[in-house]
Amino acid sequence: MSTRESDRITSAQQTLDILYEMSQLLNTQLDKETLATCVGMIESGVNPEALAAVIQELRRESSVLSAQPATGSHR
Amino acid sequence: MSLDPALETLVSSVVAGARNNTHLKTDLVSHCQDILTSHIGQGQEPDLGHLADIIKRQLLHSSPSGAASLKFTNLLSRLLDQPILSKKHASVLFLHSLATSSRQNIKKPAFLSNITLPPPSRNVVPSPFDVISVNQQSGGKSKAELLREHRRKTDLPQLPEALLIRDALYLLQGISGKFVRFSLHDDTDPEDMLVFLDDPRYVITAPIKAVIHRLSEVGYLYTRVSAFVQDREAAPGVGMIEQSLCHHLQAQLTEYYRLIAILESQMASKSIHSGEIMIYIPTDGIEEEMGLTLRRLDVWINEWRLRMRMMSICVEGARDAHGGALVNLIHGYTDNGDPFVRRFTDELLEEVSKPFFATLHKWLFSGELYDPFSEFFVALDLTMAHLQYVHPSSLAGGIGPPSGDGGFGGFGGEADDLSNVREGGLRLWETKYQFQKNMLPMFVGEAFGRKIFSTGKSLNFIRYSCHDSDWVVTREKMSNTGGTLKYSDIAGLERSIDAAYQIASQRLFEVFIEKFKLLDHLCALKNYLMLGHGDFADQLMEALGPSLTKPANTLYRHNLTATLETAIRSSNAQNDPTDVLRRLDARMLEYSHGEIGWDVFTLEYKVDAPIDTVFDPESMEKYLKLFKYLWQMKRIEGALNKGWMRIAGGARTFLRVPELNSEWHRIRLVMGEMIHFVRQLQAYCHLEVIECSWKVLIDFLNKKEGDLDALINAHRMYLDRMVKKIMLLSPRAGKEENVLMQVKESFATILQFREASDNFYNYCLSESARRDGNLDTNRGVFTGAEGGEMQPPDALVKICDRLKEYSSSFSDRAQTIVQYLQVHPDLDCRFLGIRLSFSDFYKSKKAQ
Repeated sequence: MSTRESDRITSAQQTLDILYEMSQLLNTQLDKETLATCVGMIESGVNPEALAAVIQELRRESSVLSAQPATGSHR
Repeated sequence: MSLDPALETLVSSVVAGARNNTHLKTDLVSHCQDILTSHIGQGQEPDLGHLADIIKRQLLHSSPSGAASLKFTNLLSRLLDQPILSKKHASVLFLHSLATSSRQNIKKPAFLSNITLPPPSRNVVPSPFDVISVNQQSGGKSKAELLREHRRKTDLPQLPEALLIRDALYLLQGISGKFVRFSLHDDTDPEDMLVFLDDPRYVITAPIKAVIHRLSEVGYLYTRVSAFVQDREAAPGVGMIEQSLCHHLQAQLTEYYRLIAILESQMASKSIHSGEIMIYIPTDGIEEEMGLTLRRLDVWINEWRLRMRMMSICVEGARDAHGGALVNLIHGYTDNGDPFVRRFTDELLEEVSKPFFATLHKWLFSGELYDPFSEFFVALDLTMAHLQYVHPSSLAGGIGPPSGDGGFGGFGGEADDLSNVREGGLRLWETKYQFQKNMLPMFVGEAFGRKIFSTGKSLNFIRYSCHDSDWVVTREKMSNTGGTLKYSDIAGLERSIDAAYQIASQRLFEVFIEKFKLLDHLCALKNYLMLGHGDFADQLMEALGPSLTKPANTLYRHNLTATLETAIRSSNAQNDPTDVLRRLDARMLEYSHGEIGWDVFTLEYKVDAPIDTVFDPESMEKYLKLFKYLWQMKRIEGALNKGWMRIAGGARTFLRVPELNSEWHRIRLVMGEMIHFVRQLQAYCHLEVIECSWKVLIDFLNKKEGDLDALINAHRMYLDRMVKKIMLLSPRAGKEENVLMQVKESFATILQFREASDNFYNYCLSESARRDGNLDTNRGVFTGAEGGEMQPPDALVKICDRLKEYSSSFSDRAQTIVQYLQVHPDLDCRFLGIRLSFSDFYKSKKAQ
């Protein structure tokens, strides 16, 4: 039972590794954790292209915000 | 929502600021949910293989070495082995989408500060549609691609070029192809000669059609040329020049076949190379290095197009031109600036003119016309052709070689025979061969053409009419050692023509002068017919005189010929060669009632072939005319001589009638005037006209230049000059014979005067006899003469009247003649006028 569980975990780990490598190859700039979250969401049925759009959106948001804290810290 | 926690994690992991700010976090999460529930990315078919291809191609673009692509393939296969994920495609698609979309953001400068630069990409303008576009590799679409897409949409692909090439090769041989065929109607104009078959599955584009049109022109010309060649091969009676033209064309066509065979083998190699003709996929970019395309075919054929055109032109010309004219036609194209055309026509001409030169050689060196298809510029008159052999042989037995025993008898029976054949001579020479200017090749030139014509004619004449074929044969053998005549050696041709012409005309002169004694005959004509032999003429006049005063119908030919022979024997003429004397004959012209012997008698000189070429019947007639006039003059002279002898001798010695002495004196004066007139006339004729003309002719003969035509012309000029001057002909139309008539009338007057003076003499004679008788009777001497009765005095008056009338009429005529002669356009005739009235005798008379 536990071996099956551990097998599952290693296999999941391997899959994630592969995907991470792919992501790096494709230059997506995702870290492993976010990638795992995204893959989880995709596995649960989220449209991959929509998710990609979300990531884009969030990154845009983050870049806007990263400009703001610089001014906010002075405040 | 089960997704919310995951989303929250995502938001907080990506957006650092949201980790502490819950408000922001909830905002972002709800925003993300909106996006997720939207329709982005709907309707995408889950094809992992396809997606993998796209990604790989992109990777290839970004790193052309292929290492990244290889790594991706590797990763993908490992991923597929993993059992965990149920939606591997979706995950890969997510990564891909993120990758492509993230690349867009690279340009954003704000982003650049945060994130490390991605590996440089050559893909400058990516668009979401790239995913859809299959063939897309480079940025914009080329026109060709647009066109191809358009075609694919209209569903009419271009007809495969290989098929068209096969058709084009057929077209080049004049055969209709599968898709393109020749129009069946011959009358359509060349533009519509081709018919493209409509195939609903394919289209043939206009440029391709134009190329095929160009190619098919060659095919069309080919059919014409080959049809012509075949036509001529089958047809009988095709000229030799045309035959050689056909041969040359055939050789050219064989070359053409060879080219087509090569082209065909190229096409075959291509079809093997590509493997499939029927399923032709237009390859873009990489052209076939090997094989055949329509354009290549066009280039290959290009030179042949010109050649075919030339050939076709020749063929067209050959339809209505013939022999030399055909050579001319081709020669017309040698003066072309295009070296290709020039070379082609030169070659063609070299070939085509060979039979022409063969004929020319035969004609120029042996005088034989071998021209079975009448292509040469010398044409044989068929009606004269048989004479070549019949003519001389028929004469050979008659008066051919001078035989020792040949008297005058031989002529009698053959007279009719001769007159028939005699019209041959000159006509044979002049009409047997005709010069045809339109058949003369231009590269020979007309002057040379004439020379060639004359040379061959002379040789032919020497050979057949002069029986001197040995010489011609020898000459021919000698000439064969020299090079052959050909088109490319025009200078050599001209040299040999000149040489042959010189030799032939020289030989012709030799033959005429040495073998046929032309000079002897000319002398004979001058001596006998123009009374050059004075002693002979006097003898003849003396012997014939009494019989010629008789009526013409009492004269007999044998008497005349006998008298002629007597005259010859008793004069220097007997020393002339027998051949000349044999030909001399006396005969009477056609006479009518009342004419006397003087009017109809004539001498004749018989000529035969080949001398009659020079002494043609027409000139013989002129000789006769001259003889008649000169003979008349001679007669007057003789009559005057005799009359003078009576007057001068008799009247002074025994005609003692003193009261008539003044009358006698007057008669002597008039007769002196007449004698002066006739003597001057004779001297003029013989010295100034005949001898001067003779000298010109002899000079020409000694030069030995020119051909037989020149000889004939010289003789004709000699004769014409004499006729014109002796007859005192004036060039003014209608008045040519005015002076001649006057002279002839004055001759008649002289004869009448002579008769009257004879009467007067008789009267005086009987008167003096009567007076002598009276004197004897007075002296008582019986002399037997009865004294006779007194002649009626009116008889004396009548005679004196007639004498006066004739003398004045003669004076008037002489004066008129002198007046005419003084304004005569001919200088010699004018000079005669001066001689006649040397002391202004006639002029002063008029002034009185």
